[in-house]
Amino acid sequence: MCSKRNLTTCLFIPLFVCFSIIVPVVQVHADESHPDFLSDDFYEKGLESEEYILDRLEPINRAVFAFNDKAYLWVLEPLAKTYSYVVPFDLRICVYNFFRNLEEPVRFINTLLQGRFSDAGDVLVRFAINSTLGIYGLADAADRVFAHPPVEATLGETLELWGVGDGSYLVVPLYGSSTIRDFAGTMVDGLAITPYYSWSEDLSVIGGTYIGKETNKISMHLGEYEDFKKVFFDPYIGFRNAYFQYRRKLRDHTAENAEID
Amino acid sequence: MFCKVLMSMALAVIFSFHSNFSPVAVATATVPDPTEQLRPFVDKIVTILTDVKLQGDEKCTERRQQVMKIAHERFDFFEMSKRVLGSQWRKLSENEQQEFADLFTTLLEHAYIGKIEDYSKQKVEFKDQRIKDDRAEVRTDLIDKDVVIPVSYIMILKNQDWMVYDIVVEGVSLVRNYMEQFKEILRKDGYASLLAQLKDKVDELEKATKPCPVDITPRES
Repeated sequence: MCSKRNLTTCLFIPLFVCFSIIVPVVQVHADESHPDFLSDDFYEKGLESEEYILDRLEPINRAVFAFNDKAYLWVLEPLAKTYSYVVPFDLRICVYNFFRNLEEPVRFINTLLQGRFSDAGDVLVRFAINSTLGIYGLADAADRVFAHPPVEATLGETLELWGVGDGSYLVVPLYGSSTIRDFAGTMVDGLAITPYYSWSEDLSVIGGTYIGKETNKISMHLGEYEDFKKVFFDPYIGFRNAYFQYRRKLRDHTAENAEID
Repeated sequence: MFCKVLMSMALAVIFSFHSNFSPVAVATATVPDPTEQLRPFVDKIVTILTDVKLQGDEKCTERRQQVMKIAHERFDFFEMSKRVLGSQWRKLSENEQQEFADLFTTLLEHAYIGKIEDYSKQKVEFKDQRIKDDRAEVRTDLIDKDVVIPVSYIMILKNQDWMVYDIVVEGVSLVRNYMEQFKEILRKDGYASLLAQLKDKVDELEKATKPCPVDITPRES
């Protein structure tokens, strides 16, 4: 029944059945997650309604935020600064691409679970191109040469589509802004599936990999955190709000938004 | 993450600091094109920032003044202030509204003024626009070497002029972000306290603002 050509179609049918059940949820969600900047409701709403940002853990979050602030300013950034003197910018981009490429299988699974089949195809193509022509993912050839821009998909988003709520905003030590649901998703995405975290059973190696990856990322954005802190009125709220707004954009896959990316 | 946002926000916001109307446009029955109004504005700013006659530390004050003069033409800080306060705005008297708008404008001015000197050959590429009644969104890409940052200008039509009242960088609305920060203070401490804190913040930023002359070497990245 399933010829080779139809294999993908066969695989997708059960998923389609699943999603026909979930679709109503998705629809409702799409309305909420796609605000119209041109409507004054966008600015009026949210001032009264508290449901937009759930921060049940605010006192704890603020404490962790203060800890992260010091950890960043006193440890991580000096580390990244030193690193940036030693490693040239282009090489740091390669490091970033390398890790990102290894995460593509996770994105592939999540795009499938979210029913974004065309995005799933894109992720697969990107992974294939970058792992070969991009030389182990060091260069993002898929984006630059073949016009397959990066696709975002996480388990947090998958769970959101399936109707799981955020729970609460959550500031994670040495990680930053997340929500209970999204961070749970990140743990599964990262620890259970992402290849570079399964290279070793040793927690210190896993931790080291994470710190290394983050240091590399920070080294490309030196000074930006301080700049933000300076212009924010209440940095805790400022970063929290920016996180939610940015996340909403990442998860908006309507055609209109896709053009931008 | 939203780290790249600041530079572009700066470039966008800096470009303007008082809510004045630009010279009255010739009244026509047709709606003017928002992109065609925004494009020369951005060009003018870039021209000033790249003008060889305005380079160097000693020209810093002149450069800033010129940028701000142009900025007056296309940004509406009164509209911005109105939205930042949300429902609180309606509870204020006209004088109070003006007082808040002036203060908020000064806050933005000081928050972003140092950033203007970081300009180093970024390019603005206009993508598309959409118009809904008297509102418009013009979508651009800010291209900074290898990095592309989507920046949207949200505008309102006033006397045939499209005035910017919000900037959305990487999906993050500047107004919405400040609104959220102010909301918390309004809820806990009330408007009087917000006003006092706003004054404090302006003072703090005033002291922290890079004075002329400034280091104009591009940001290390």
